[in-house]
Amino acid sequence: MGKCCDKKKRQIDAPDPCNPPGPQYVSESSAEKEPQNGPLAWFGKMIQNCYEYATEAKAQGKHIVGIMCEYTPRELIMAADAVPVCLCGGSAEMIPTAEEHLPANLCPLIKSTYGYHLQKANPFLEMAELIVAETTCDGKKKMYELMDQTRPMYVLELPQKPADSDAMAHWVSELRKFKTRLENQFGIEITDEKIRQAIRIMNRERALRRELAELMKSDKPPLTGRQLLKFKSSISGISADFEQYAEAIKLLKSQKPHCRRDSQVRVLMTGVPIVHGTERVLDIIESHGGLVVCMDNCTGLKPILEDVDESAQDPVFALAEKYFRLPCSVMTKNDRRLELLREMVAEYRPQCIIELIWQACITYDVESYLVRQLAEKELGIPYLRIETDYSPSDSVRIALRVEALFETIRERTHEQGTPAVLLRKTEAAGGTQRRCSGG
Amino acid sequence: MICAGIDAGSRAIKIVLMDTDSRQVIAKGLIDQGVEQDKLASELFEALLKHSDINKKDVAKIVATGYGRNAVSIADTTITEITCQAVGVRQLVPKAMTVIDIGGQDSKLVQLDRTGKVRDFAMNDRCAAGTGRFLEVVAERLGIKLESLGDIAAKSKRPAVISSMCVVFAETEIIGLLTSGTPREDIIAGVQAAIAERVVTMAGRNLELPIIFTGGVAMISGMDLALKCALQKSVTVSPAPQMTGALGAAILASSQLNRRRP
Repeated sequence: MGKCCDKKKRQIDAPDPCNPPGPQYVSESSAEKEPQNGPLAWFGKMIQNCYEYATEAKAQGKHIVGIMCEYTPRELIMAADAVPVCLCGGSAEMIPTAEEHLPANLCPLIKSTYGYHLQKANPFLEMAELIVAETTCDGKKKMYELMDQTRPMYVLELPQKPADSDAMAHWVSELRKFKTRLENQFGIEITDEKIRQAIRIMNRERALRRELAELMKSDKPPLTGRQLLKFKSSISGISADFEQYAEAIKLLKSQKPHCRRDSQVRVLMTGVPIVHGTERVLDIIESHGGLVVCMDNCTGLKPILEDVDESAQDPVFALAEKYFRLPCSVMTKNDRRLELLREMVAEYRPQCIIELIWQACITYDVESYLVRQLAEKELGIPYLRIETDYSPSDSVRIALRVEALFETIRERTHEQGTPAVLLRKTEAAGGTQRRCSGG
Repeated sequence: MICAGIDAGSRAIKIVLMDTDSRQVIAKGLIDQGVEQDKLASELFEALLKHSDINKKDVAKIVATGYGRNAVSIADTTITEITCQAVGVRQLVPKAMTVIDIGGQDSKLVQLDRTGKVRDFAMNDRCAAGTGRFLEVVAERLGIKLESLGDIAAKSKRPAVISSMCVVFAETEIIGLLTSGTPREDIIAGVQAAIAERVVTMAGRNLELPIIFTGGVAMISGMDLALKCALQKSVTVSPAPQMTGALGAAILASSQLNRRRP
């Protein structure tokens, strides 16, 4: 092993089960010295940037609209001269408050978001004049009814049988009603040209983020999964962000390959979104010898893989088409998710799939059975399912399973030489359309 | 050369000293786990060296495993107990295909391929139900010794149904059963069956034979029987079930050392 590949094993004291460990699972990314300036540093203060941006936008008379899910077309909100802000909660501290109204056995993302609502602790939520949501999972859907008591909510009905011929028509009509609502509330006309303008901005953002994510296809990726996750923003369409994305792409492409990274186990993470503040499992994976090369979830590739047709005759229809294709586990059947996973495995060449499930997320939890089948039976790579919430009390157990998985994989690759065997299997398994490639 | 495997479990620390070339176990020892586990592990290690008349300098490699593996400062490296149990059990039962390891606070299931490599594994999540701790709580509550659980359970004609799979709730449930006059043998048999069922849920029913049962709980009489009933398959208790993790760690320390030699 070369000098720079000598990795000192991080010592982690086994914690007392009654005193769960604090944030000692330092990810490699933060252990490596983070730059004081440059794109990573810029996105390191993403919340602050967004806060300043939103405050200024509001001062200029723009409206702030909160969103709760990737199904909401941000373009429609932007076309109404409003700023869409993601409101998904990532703080464990908000959960006890939320449990005063909500059942304990509910997904932490829902509880945290609701806790922020009760405590009025999310400045973006407090700024928002409208909150848009969809009928996705039961937990969210019913939680919105409680929020609706004190906040202006608008809930889009999301059809859940994507293969049905009339589903798309219904979704289009939902978006048209939403457009009317925005026009009425903000007293503005949303013209097709304004929507097209917003589509161009969002396409640009998706293309930039996609190009960054695709750098992880390299045998020696220039980023850790944790670093890549930082390259996104709660508010879309900020031009200063775009400059930083472009700068990052330029810098990373000119950088020497990171020689240590080819000794790490390549991981594809799937399942629930990893919103800001909930990166614990990702950190555990990357501080135990893994490198997350690809995430298919809502905070990863899923929402940025496909663009919206900029020249479509009917831009609302074009939006509906793009967003309706998102493969969320609330859909039945959700074949597109498995299709996407096949493609990602072929392109990013992970050595295993780790699925993260927030506790009580019924749809992802049940669907995990199909993902396991796909990984083990069809793609021939190991699969590990981790169900947890926002509290760190099970970090030691999760780390144990992750370590054991990596030991198993290393033992296999040690015997078989290179992981090329895995690659061959996936290529044989499914037609590898190269949708993920090319910005 | 000598290698050592240290298994710092949640209830006990186990150490095996091994001759790297002959793969013979030179010494083994066990001590109850405590607050200062690093100190306890070092003391046990020193005691074993002294007892076997070995100089510390002759120990070429130490691998730590188990829940407390990262706290053992004398270890050169750590390997998870999943890998170590597989290697340890395979050493004692060369044809083993499935390893069920129930320890103080974890239950694990490891499936092996024909060469003994880990093919798949599963373990319990947050909860300690279905582990040794669960049995301890029950024994304590019923005022009997852990060792005699099996003998008493054997007398049961109608095992009680324990539905709560949380240690805390199960304790409440047991109190309820006691007050309603359920015989304690039925309660114990019920608890053992419930733990075994928990393992089956985790493992599925398609386990390859031979199934080897290891870990501290394998020493509690009646548990192998409960597993057999739940799995509907024959289950064999591993030789020296408390030591298989440390044994595996010592073997892996030896192979790592040999691998590095030209």
